[in-house]
Amino acid sequence: MVPLVVLLLSVLPVFSLRASTVDFAREVRPLFEKHCFKCHGPEKQKSGYRLDVREIALTGGEAHAPNIVPGQPEKSPLLRFVSGEDAEMRMPPKGDLLTAQERRVLEAWVAAGAVWPAGDSVQVAAPTDWWSLKPLRKPEPPSREAKPVDAFVQARLAREGWTPSPAAPRETLLRRITFDLTGLPPSPEELDAFLADEAPDAYERVVDRLLASPRYGERWARHWLDVVHYGDTHGYDKDKPRPNAWPYRDYVIRALNEDKPYAQFVREQLAGDVLFPGATDGIEGLGFLAAGPWDLIGHAEVPETKTDGKIARHLDRDDMVANTLGTFCATTVHCAQCHNHKFDPITQEDYYSLQAVFSAIDRTDKKYFSDAALTASYAKMEGALQRAEADASALEKQAEKEAGEALVKLDAALASARKARPAARAEAGFHSSVSAEQGVLKWVQVDLGREVAIDKIAFAACYDDFNKIGAGFGFPPRYKIEASNEPGFKEGVQAVVDRSREEQGNPGTALQSVSAKGIKGRYVRFSATRLAPRKEDFIFALSELLVFDGAGENVALGAVVSSLDSIESGPRWARKNLTDGQYPGKESAGTDVAALEKERAALLRTASKPETLSKLAAAKADKARLEAERKAFPPPKVAYVGAVHTGTGSFRGTGADGGKPRPVHLLARGQVTQPGREMVPGALGVLSFRPARFPVSADAPEGARRAALADWVADPANPLTWRTIVNRVWQYHFGAGLVETPGDFGRNGALPTHPELLDWLAAEFRDGGGSLKNLHRLLVLSDTYKQASASRPEMESRDSGNRLLWRQNRRKLEAEAIRDAVLAASGKLDLTMGGEGWQDFVVEQPAHSPHYRYDLHDPLDAKTYRRSVYRFVVRSQTQPWMTSLDCADPSMRVDRRNESLSPLQALALLNNGFLLTQAAALAERVRAEAPAPADQMVGAFRRVLSREPNPAEAGELSRYAGRNGLEQACRILLNLNEFSFVD
Amino acid sequence: MNASPFHSQSSAVPLSRRDFLWQSGGGLGGVALASMFCGEESARAAAPLGATKMGPAFGKAKRVVQFFMAGAASHLDLFDFKSELIKHHGKPSDFGEPVEAFQNGLGPWLRPVWDFKPYGQSGKMLGEPVAALGGVVDEMAFIHNMVSKSGVHSAATLLQATGFQLPGFPGAGCWVSYGLGSMNDNLPAFVVLPDHRGFGSNGVKNWDSAFLPSQHSGTVIYPGTEAPIADLFPHKAGAFISPDGEAEGRNLLASLNRGHAAVRPGDQRLEARIRSYELAGRMQLAAPEALNLKDEPAHVLRLYGLEGGPESWPKEINAKEESFYFAQKCLAARRLLERGVRFIQVWSGNDNGFPRRNWDSHEDIDRDHGPLATGMARGCAAFIADLKQRGLLEDTVILWTTEFGRMPSSQGGKGRDHNPFVFTNWLCGGGIRGGVTHGESDQWGYKPLDRKNPTQVYDVHATLLHLLGIDHTQLTTRHNGIDRRLTDVHGHVIGELLA
Repeated sequence: MVPLVVLLLSVLPVFSLRASTVDFAREVRPLFEKHCFKCHGPEKQKSGYRLDVREIALTGGEAHAPNIVPGQPEKSPLLRFVSGEDAEMRMPPKGDLLTAQERRVLEAWVAAGAVWPAGDSVQVAAPTDWWSLKPLRKPEPPSREAKPVDAFVQARLAREGWTPSPAAPRETLLRRITFDLTGLPPSPEELDAFLADEAPDAYERVVDRLLASPRYGERWARHWLDVVHYGDTHGYDKDKPRPNAWPYRDYVIRALNEDKPYAQFVREQLAGDVLFPGATDGIEGLGFLAAGPWDLIGHAEVPETKTDGKIARHLDRDDMVANTLGTFCATTVHCAQCHNHKFDPITQEDYYSLQAVFSAIDRTDKKYFSDAALTASYAKMEGALQRAEADASALEKQAEKEAGEALVKLDAALASARKARPAARAEAGFHSSVSAEQGVLKWVQVDLGREVAIDKIAFAACYDDFNKIGAGFGFPPRYKIEASNEPGFKEGVQAVVDRSREEQGNPGTALQSVSAKGIKGRYVRFSATRLAPRKEDFIFALSELLVFDGAGENVALGAVVSSLDSIESGPRWARKNLTDGQYPGKESAGTDVAALEKERAALLRTASKPETLSKLAAAKADKARLEAERKAFPPPKVAYVGAVHTGTGSFRGTGADGGKPRPVHLLARGQVTQPGREMVPGALGVLSFRPARFPVSADAPEGARRAALADWVADPANPLTWRTIVNRVWQYHFGAGLVETPGDFGRNGALPTHPELLDWLAAEFRDGGGSLKNLHRLLVLSDTYKQASASRPEMESRDSGNRLLWRQNRRKLEAEAIRDAVLAASGKLDLTMGGEGWQDFVVEQPAHSPHYRYDLHDPLDAKTYRRSVYRFVVRSQTQPWMTSLDCADPSMRVDRRNESLSPLQALALLNNGFLLTQAAALAERVRAEAPAPADQMVGAFRRVLSREPNPAEAGELSRYAGRNGLEQACRILLNLNEFSFVD
Repeated sequence: MNASPFHSQSSAVPLSRRDFLWQSGGGLGGVALASMFCGEESARAAAPLGATKMGPAFGKAKRVVQFFMAGAASHLDLFDFKSELIKHHGKPSDFGEPVEAFQNGLGPWLRPVWDFKPYGQSGKMLGEPVAALGGVVDEMAFIHNMVSKSGVHSAATLLQATGFQLPGFPGAGCWVSYGLGSMNDNLPAFVVLPDHRGFGSNGVKNWDSAFLPSQHSGTVIYPGTEAPIADLFPHKAGAFISPDGEAEGRNLLASLNRGHAAVRPGDQRLEARIRSYELAGRMQLAAPEALNLKDEPAHVLRLYGLEGGPESWPKEINAKEESFYFAQKCLAARRLLERGVRFIQVWSGNDNGFPRRNWDSHEDIDRDHGPLATGMARGCAAFIADLKQRGLLEDTVILWTTEFGRMPSSQGGKGRDHNPFVFTNWLCGGGIRGGVTHGESDQWGYKPLDRKNPTQVYDVHATLLHLLGIDHTQLTTRHNGIDRRLTDVHGHVIGELLA
């Protein structure tokens, strides 16, 4: 007994301090209320932290979590913040700090274990207690009598005491389903056939016909391309074309037409190269990752070591992450870039784990073949070539090392002889246009202003690192120099030197000089008779041309320069630079670079180990052999995709590091200057159907990360994926989704109007193999879909948004549907599929920042009469006519298009060259189809509106056409409300 | 819509946004209105909510003009005088810390390329090319401690134009149009007057409406050209259109559309579309009238330096040409403002290509900034004086901006590299207190003097909206899970600048 009492007595003071000196409800919570709740309480939760919820208060705090460490006040960030010691991070950030007494209370409370009675807390819902995060189960339809879709919809209507609308008239239905599935109007022939078809399955057969038509894939691919923000230029500054983007667009069209199982569609777009090796679709699908805009300057002109370069790459991955989770999972994960998601259970760690999935890849051109074996052997060859190049360069270094001090000296002499780089940068010289042929003659000449007795002519080649050429860049292997008093060099031409009969050595950047023996002339012309090879083409470049008179003065300095052609690009390449007195070899004029190079080669031959030299020779032979092998391949196909990039300069990618993923850190407040812990690849931690941090080893190839994400997204147990896609499809058939925010299934989005229907459809779709065509059938064969769109006042007043689907929604046609329908009506529509996008603009100044001039386009150009989905989509200069019709903005992900009406839209439809050209074509077409004016008008009406006009309409339009011509009447038809809306 | 049994964040039919806003009491309350219907509503916009507690400058402005210098105009050579640079000219630059410059342009200190002189009561120092602004300098308020988040043109231009570094966000003018609508149905609410050579970085991304309804996009107008507004009149392919056919056709169109709508009651879009054609017809009359600069009396043309009319110009960038085109835009802007356009964005400078045709003077400040600044200052000075004499300056706020500044060190001897760390804005009119400076740059013009308290575009935008009678935290729209606003999650109204 005694020992126990002693024990109790000795413990008691401590115990009482713990339990009874600080009472949470009486002493601590009032402090939180007074000082903290304004920003971390029921109203606001800055940094996602709140002190009214026990769980969050004790475990949260973002980068500082946990903010409160029970029993350890000295380790509790909260106490440090309230102390005001750290001026950068004091709490409250403004106004008075806590008093010393208040701080003592808090400290004692934490020291005593931060006892917080569980009941004394605001209760927040469990993070997974949200409809879209719950496992997907398949509910029973409420009735077996009706089709499942109708059963759910009608049961909901019945709860309001409402009934569905009757079916729409057959011609309305035909126009609706044809636009919905193909984006085109039914032709008059299709209309007549359908109206005459009295079989009960007539409509069903129409649906089958439309789903089987290639026009279906074209229509629905456009919806998909909206969501993934596809474009054919990079956007941002310069907005350069992206000429190899279209294979992805064609892939989407093909996948939809083939009814590719949705899970496979997902997988191909995230990791097709890994999961379907050798398959064309597995490469082209990766265009998804590269679909969005790309900051060329932030990548190509700023290295990853600079802050701006880091930001550019961070934002580039952000686009991939947002695109992936937004498109497939309707999740606004991008909100967790700077802090934990404010509304949904998505942490910053989730977000950066997703960035880690993509950290090895960039947007880049990838080469491949239709033949998988060929792709494999090409890749093998390229790998071997890269290795041979690396070997050769390593052995070269080895040989140089063995050559020792003598080589170091020689190289120093060479470097100073070339004196290339510093002087080369700014005022480089003259640069001809690029030629595909080497044998083309190109010339440049100076005008000395008067006839000069020429004593000597000197010239210097350029230095440029392009294709690793360096000194002597663009210097022609054959050339001649002439003088004349006639600028056209047609008469009185005197040769100064003619080196056009055999190949000359490249002089590097050393100044070369030739005697002119007093030849007289006002103009001196340097002609390249055989051009210098560059990469896959040929050029002629020259840094300086000097002409010395008898007094030894360079009379060409500042002289006017002319040439056959010139690229005139930037400060470096300009004709005038030929006579600016600046050239790379200026400082070392007279030194013979070629001789030094010969000396160097000889030294290497003698001073290096024979073994090294023989290995080097072997590596070089390998390289040469592989290069020849590469030439033997047919030209590979190229697609712009998300993949490991091997580049030079600032945009080097990870290729040189074997595609090793870049480390991705959790960035405090999203700032690249504040990296925290390094992240492993993963997805959303709140979902537990698969590990949220992927079990991918650190040294696994980067593709394993994307494959893991693809598996995560396409998993049958992923609650978001299946709901997301069926909701998107629903939206395009009904004008609004069952969830009105198709890109946000979180707490800031809308709730499903028919949650059970959504789940039934999602489960049915998933379990039936992910066939989108079957999903379409489920929807468009339903009575709900076939309802008339007429309003019913009693329901309109209570559900003006028609969320309960007591009628079908009248829909406004999208920009592409309008344009394609105009072409279909005029008979000009060209149904050629696939390939490079057609361009309805003229490009000016393509060298730097292309100007896309839509105003200069000729609307009679039939190349632009293909379907709108094949349009070359420019980001910075969006097509103005399509934009006025609410076309999707390719710079942002568009889950649902804006729908607007404005005077500018009216003007676009009244006056644009495209529409007027087609109005005239339509008039011509119907004129050819029928001799009688009245019949012509009816023909035009049927082509534009897919129905017969009533007598009043026909009369008014015919009279108008009679007075003003059929063309003007067709223009009116194409501007009708009825044309722009589908009942 | 509120009768719907579901909470609905995005309006299914954009035209019902108006009802949504009125009924919900959320967002901007009664202020944000569809511009198409502004005629009936603008009176409400004129008496915004909460005006009393916001101070006298709140709601003082009705209109905005934003001058944007594409390519990054140098604060050091125009507005932000640094005697230290004259003193240390040619000496190796030393920033006291490592500096990441875009093209590593960290040559010796480079003095202002031109001499500065004091002007006005305020004694504000101005560089020689912008001396024309001396006459109105006491109307102007300067911010010399602007900072950007990026030294890359595209991202930085987007940041100043839209408040975000990524494409896909509405321009400031779109937000103003969305919030206040137009004051004249017959003209667009937001007009963009681009450089005569073409667009700057990002093109239309600087003014398109992104996730706001598309009628809030900036409408591009090229004053003084054959077709200043796209599709205002029929393309030449419409040679078949006769005046009679046009007039009769519009009537027939309206009558057929009315017949169509009559049997489809309850769909206000059909009526709205009929009305949009009526408005289009009125715009066809109003726009040419508004842009007919020849209407102006001789003394006004002289004020703008436009008495000569266009001529042919040398190929090289030159002050005469810059002055002509910039002044032409300024005069067109004034006429549009008078006729009720809400927000006008005026650009100086094309893309960053060669030969230089914008403010990106890496090679030679004198060569590009000289003519560009001379032309800009000439036009702006005339514009401010003209607004003032008409009483328009009182309720028109002017903002002069650029994507970032230029370095105090030289690049290649005569040029300057990008300086995202500090640059200058100025404002004028519409409730701005003239003759003041808010925020200084340091002795070199390299970073803000007080590095902890720089001014950001959010603050400038918050101030603009404040002057227009809008609390910048209230003008929001829900997009992709976030209540988006022009000022993101930042921005403080700059009290010091308010009259």
